[in-house]
Amino acid sequence: MTMKQNALPLPLHRRRKIEIVMRAEDRTMVEDLLRAAGVSGWTMIRDVAGMGHHGFHQGRTIFNDESGLVMFVGVGDEAVIADVAGGLSRLFESRPGVTFLSDVEVMRSDYFSPARSTPRGPSL
Amino acid sequence: MNMIAPIERTGERLGRTEVAGLVALAARTVAPLWPLESAIAVNPLARFEELPFAQAVAEASKLFGARRTLPLALWRRLYENDRIDEAALRDAAIAHLGGIYHAAAPIAPGVTMLDALMACLLAIEPGDQPERKDGLGPDAAFIAKWCGAFFDHGMTTMPLPYRDLGLYRAVLAMAAYDPDYRTLTGARGAALLLSVPRDPLEAISEGLASLEVPVDELAYLSGLVARLPGWAGHIRWRTDHADPDRVADVPATMADLAALWILLARADAVSALPPAPSAGKDRRAALLAHFGLTAKALDARNAERLDAVARVDDDALGALFMTAAERSYANGLMPALQRAARTSNPPLRPDAQLVLCIDVRSEPFRRALEAEGNYETFGYAGFFGLPIALHPFAGAHRARLLPVLLSPRHDISERPVPGRESEAEAIADGARRDACTSDLFAAAKVGPATAFAAAEATGPLAAALMLARTFAPLAASRAAATLRKRRQLALAPAPEGYANHTGVSLADKVGYASALFRLTGMRPDTARLVVLTGHGASAVNNPYAAALDCGACSGHAGGSNARLLAAMLNDADVRSGMAEEGLKLPPTTYFLAAEHNTTTDEVTIFDADSIPDTHAADLAALSASLARAAGANRARRARSLDRAPGDLLTGAVHWGEVRPEWGLAGNAAFIVGPRDLTRAIDLQGRAFLHSYDWRADRDGSALATILTAPMVVAQWINCQYLFSTIDNERYGSGDKVTHNVIGGIGVVQGNGGDLKIGLPRQSLFRDNGLPHHVPQRLLAIVHAPFDRVAALVETSDILRRLFGKGWVQLIVIDPETARARRWREDGADCGEGRNLLCVDC
Repeated sequence: MTMKQNALPLPLHRRRKIEIVMRAEDRTMVEDLLRAAGVSGWTMIRDVAGMGHHGFHQGRTIFNDESGLVMFVGVGDEAVIADVAGGLSRLFESRPGVTFLSDVEVMRSDYFSPARSTPRGPSL
Repeated sequence: MNMIAPIERTGERLGRTEVAGLVALAARTVAPLWPLESAIAVNPLARFEELPFAQAVAEASKLFGARRTLPLALWRRLYENDRIDEAALRDAAIAHLGGIYHAAAPIAPGVTMLDALMACLLAIEPGDQPERKDGLGPDAAFIAKWCGAFFDHGMTTMPLPYRDLGLYRAVLAMAAYDPDYRTLTGARGAALLLSVPRDPLEAISEGLASLEVPVDELAYLSGLVARLPGWAGHIRWRTDHADPDRVADVPATMADLAALWILLARADAVSALPPAPSAGKDRRAALLAHFGLTAKALDARNAERLDAVARVDDDALGALFMTAAERSYANGLMPALQRAARTSNPPLRPDAQLVLCIDVRSEPFRRALEAEGNYETFGYAGFFGLPIALHPFAGAHRARLLPVLLSPRHDISERPVPGRESEAEAIADGARRDACTSDLFAAAKVGPATAFAAAEATGPLAAALMLARTFAPLAASRAAATLRKRRQLALAPAPEGYANHTGVSLADKVGYASALFRLTGMRPDTARLVVLTGHGASAVNNPYAAALDCGACSGHAGGSNARLLAAMLNDADVRSGMAEEGLKLPPTTYFLAAEHNTTTDEVTIFDADSIPDTHAADLAALSASLARAAGANRARRARSLDRAPGDLLTGAVHWGEVRPEWGLAGNAAFIVGPRDLTRAIDLQGRAFLHSYDWRADRDGSALATILTAPMVVAQWINCQYLFSTIDNERYGSGDKVTHNVIGGIGVVQGNGGDLKIGLPRQSLFRDNGLPHHVPQRLLAIVHAPFDRVAALVETSDILRRLFGKGWVQLIVIDPETARARRWREDGADCGEGRNLLCVDC
């Protein structure tokens, strides 16, 4: 008997994922959007390096959290992530950045349920 | 009447998150405004840094109703006082006219276009300065009033109700009872109070949709935010920079503020913006009279040339003066720096080395100390590379002791020095007792039943204290100085973590200790004594006291950071770790911490009793030199303040002192290089000095750190001084005499209104009205290979923007040849392909 035959099927739930790469100095604007849309949590990766339209972006920064690029990763219901993307389109009108949307499966769906709130304000 | 009909028709509405995006962008229109306890210099035009400098100034002028330059009359006074060279002004005028060929074009026999433009700059009567209305319009005054009530910082006896609901909803709840609101908005406003959404984002969305004329939503919201830059800046501090525990009980976002403006807009209660002030006039007649010409005598071509010059307005003339001031400064400095770059001095082992903050006030002190003996000094960011927040012993809130560009990575605590625990407890008990007494007095003096009794009981004591502080301020300050000394002896910052925070690991300690050497180019063959010297200032009854402290420590004194790094550098394990990285320090080297008081020039040595006996004589000699250097620097500073040297000691403790020191006024340059480059030059306290050795920085990472962090902080400081000077009412905070502190978070002029966002007049102007600070952009001078600097700038968004858009001017000195090149601003004429041009100064 193999382990595979004994394993229970994983309880997976389909969600949408959004990845946003923006300047570190703009990170609070993205956080405002995520909160306004009701994304209950996200990951932020500092010092993202890479090649873009304006050449190579250095990743490593010390003594300045506002320089370089950051990447946000958020997961949520399709409507919530679409809402975030709608808000981002406004930011991208004047701020540089890119975003990627994709389908993902998560194990703990309660971690990604919407939390409706105003940006850094009290719950309504 | 249909009771469920909306009170006005609304168009297609934006989604809530879309509005959040717009508000987030609009919020950037204003710079964050730190509270007084940690006043941080910021560029009030930070939002416009994507634009070329001149365009940014023009756009901000429209938005904030601010001047674009100093009034022409003040520029002329600076010129008459030899702060601007005639040759530099003439060069700026020639460049404005399109080059020497156009500048030499005749208008009449013996009169060129350059002559005419110089006459406009120096002789022709300037245009009238448009009159400004004092105070805010009724709409802005209404919102400012409620902001003041909402953000009272616990100062009022009766706090505003419903504050936990947020600014917008709290004001909605109270506005119906406010006669100012009724007067402003009438019946329409009353109806709106009942019907508008309670969520600020939805209220903004509904409000934008209800506007009769379609608008650019972002420009519209930005315009609203900019109407009260002080309160909006305070909200930006709360949302982007404050510790959550400081602001959680009074929640407010920029959406709250924008929603209040939208509420007034829907009631047609928002007033029109006054036009941006711009003094201009047609100087044609005045030019003709100045040169004794008549219009008829000019042919068409010459008349056109005259008109071209006559149309140059006061703002453009002011910009020429600023360019000339910048060139005058660079022309005076660069030959001396290039001379120094051509000579090399063999390294000698000094008797002691001191590392001071890059602050412009350190430079003259370093120079004075170097004159006293065989001392070597270095410039390093005054937080000494430690990203810490310090929890004071028995204190309520942590202090962020790092640049605002960084978030704290270590929460550390102030702890009793071993063996002094009981003394530390006694000090803490005393502080708690003083706080309780203060609270009791504050409650008693406003209580209806206790006000008179409190005045009767404490009046004589208060009068005695007042007389002592007025007529014998030095004696009155002794008790506070003694307590400060006791505290320094009994308590010290410890690298262990505060509460459940992890402390500073050995690897981190080695990293921070090594960074000092890596970033400054300090050699590992250190002197017997190395003193890390932070700085702070002394000022009494001065809301802007924190602005005189260390900017790299978020407006706090830098002694704690110096003590912590000195302790790390004396740690045997850290020394071993550094040795493994190739930094083997002599075992005879001992590190000490100190703090330079920039108001009195006294230097306090910390933990001096812990120094080994073997180094006692070194310290005694250094202490004597520091005292003599303090006297020399005090005498120099006293001359610039038109006072006697002893007056500076009195001013530091006198409650009526409005100008205890000049702070960073005069700042003009940021020089990155070894001390040998600047040691022989009197930089007059106008230069930030960051030590750097290009040879020790093979991959350029140290230079990248210096330019993207300390230089950015220096640029913020420079821009704050620049804009506070050119329009002290809009970008500064006006006259100190009429300041009122509001809620401990800022000052207002008179009895209310918007928080003032910049520096007071007394910090920038002399008593005779002449600017002490010449408004000019920062000149960054880097001693490093051209290619290294060019590669760095081209891969950094921040540097491309600051140098390319003209916010900072960059000159690079090649260490091998001592040739200098200037960075070309975007769009500037360039015959070469590279961005670094041969310097023309």
